[in-house]
Amino acid sequence: MKLVDHKKYLLEICEKVDQDLTSPTCKKLREHLSQCPDCAAYYDSLKKTIVLYRDYDVEMKGSRVKEILAQLDLDEPLRITLPKKRSR
Amino acid sequence: MEDDTKLIEAAKSGDKKAFGRLVKKYEQLVYSFSFKICRDKQKADEVLQETFINAYRGLKSFSGNSKFSTWLYRIVTNNCLMMHRKKSHEPVVSLEETDLFKGTEELQVAHWGETPHDAVLNKELKEVLDAAIQKLPLEYRIVFVMRDVEGLSTEEVGKSLKLSVPAVKSRLHRARLFLRNELNEYFTK
Repeated sequence: MKLVDHKKYLLEICEKVDQDLTSPTCKKLREHLSQCPDCAAYYDSLKKTIVLYRDYDVEMKGSRVKEILAQLDLDEPLRITLPKKRSR
Repeated sequence: MEDDTKLIEAAKSGDKKAFGRLVKKYEQLVYSFSFKICRDKQKADEVLQETFINAYRGLKSFSGNSKFSTWLYRIVTNNCLMMHRKKSHEPVVSLEETDLFKGTEELQVAHWGETPHDAVLNKELKEVLDAAIQKLPLEYRIVFVMRDVEGLSTEEVGKSLKLSVPAVKSRLHRARLFLRNELNEYFTK
């Protein structure tokens, strides 16, 4: 099957892939997916694409708080206190 | 969990310890989001530092109308875009004008089977995911990551990127189809 034949469903699938298909507004799409194995497979693969990217996360090796605060200290204007002039 | 509003107010009046606590609370979120956009740990680290420095300098402009995290997302996005333009000299591309998406809606359906559902994110699969998303222009990548990966609402993404809701939906639609298509080759070979 060419997806172009199912374009209106493709659009709907893509729009609703992250939604709960049990809602009443998804009734038509739900019915179509239960009858069309190709669109169901497409829906499935699209959903899995999102899940894979969601699952691919990275952890920081350590906190950067110290470095960031040290950088901010460089922003502070220098406070130089000049010695008071001696009165003669 | 400390209240953001109090920490932000304290940081606005120059309390660096309060800002440090905000950094501690949000650094993993910022790092993770930066990585998902840049797909490079070193760049993500640079963006992380830049983001908090910019946040501190611009804290007075944070009105509190959005969540602090959404505001940080916007700063990360700007930093990633700037870094990308500086290093790659790649022009800002409007995908409407390119043929990158040609054919994404006309491919044969192939069944992925069970593979990706239970797929362990091994090194090879990570490389495939990185390569696929790196082909996607940054403006589209950002929308996909904010909406689908980080779970922000369409309205939040639009507000954050100064895009209309239809523009967010259009970019998201194209990004999803493009990525699905790229991975299709891997999962059906």
